[in-house]
Amino acid sequence: MSAVIKTVTPFVIEEVLIEALLVVGAEPVKITPSNLQTVSHRGGLVVGDILTNRSDFYGPQHFRQNGDHWILRHDSSEMNGRVSSMLTGKHYSKVGRFLEEVGSAYESTYAKHLEKLAEQERIRLEEERKARVEATRQQAIAKAKSQGYSVKETTNSKGQIQLVLTRMV
Amino acid sequence: MPEQKITLTIDDDGAITAKTSGFKGESCLEALDELLNLEGVVSNVKKTDEYHQQQTQQTNRVQSLKGKS
Repeated sequence: MSAVIKTVTPFVIEEVLIEALLVVGAEPVKITPSNLQTVSHRGGLVVGDILTNRSDFYGPQHFRQNGDHWILRHDSSEMNGRVSSMLTGKHYSKVGRFLEEVGSAYESTYAKHLEKLAEQERIRLEEERKARVEATRQQAIAKAKSQGYSVKETTNSKGQIQLVLTRMV
Repeated sequence: MPEQKITLTIDDDGAITAKTSGFKGESCLEALDELLNLEGVVSNVKKTDEYHQQQTQQTNRVQSLKGKS
């Protein structure tokens, strides 16, 4: 006998996983100390688990962090599989199909996440640059004044800061 | 009373371009060094006509003083 299997996309970043679950309409809910007692699951839940709106014999199917990635905990036979959702048109699909959908949503959400990080990095570098220019400006003005120059500040045609320092000798 | 003038342009990366006028010879570079701590940070120095004129005048004056002695 031979077999070909495909593993799911590794779900590594919690924020991306939650966003992906929202995209596929799985209505994720994070387990916190305050809601831990309000949800029952035969296998038990822990703070940090991420519930979905899918349930089976044991209770709500949920993601739990296992090392550096999140795994879906569910009844392997999917007995009594159902979706408890306020969303219309949500039907229970097999776990494999569900994970495929989440994986696909995770990949596109991850791409957006990378873009967001790049944008944040760009903003950080831009702020650093502005701070560097401002520090240079303030340092130059302070030093010039201490050496008896009068300082006139303008902006040139390129929008760059221009300091005109003059003193009589 | 002569006026010394320095125009500093701060570019988008915080680098400074400085242009001086009213200084005699090397004193313009000294003034800029005092102002901006130039050691190890200058990428380019372009001496203006004014700089060369004043240097030439100074050289001439030294030569004429030598000629007198």
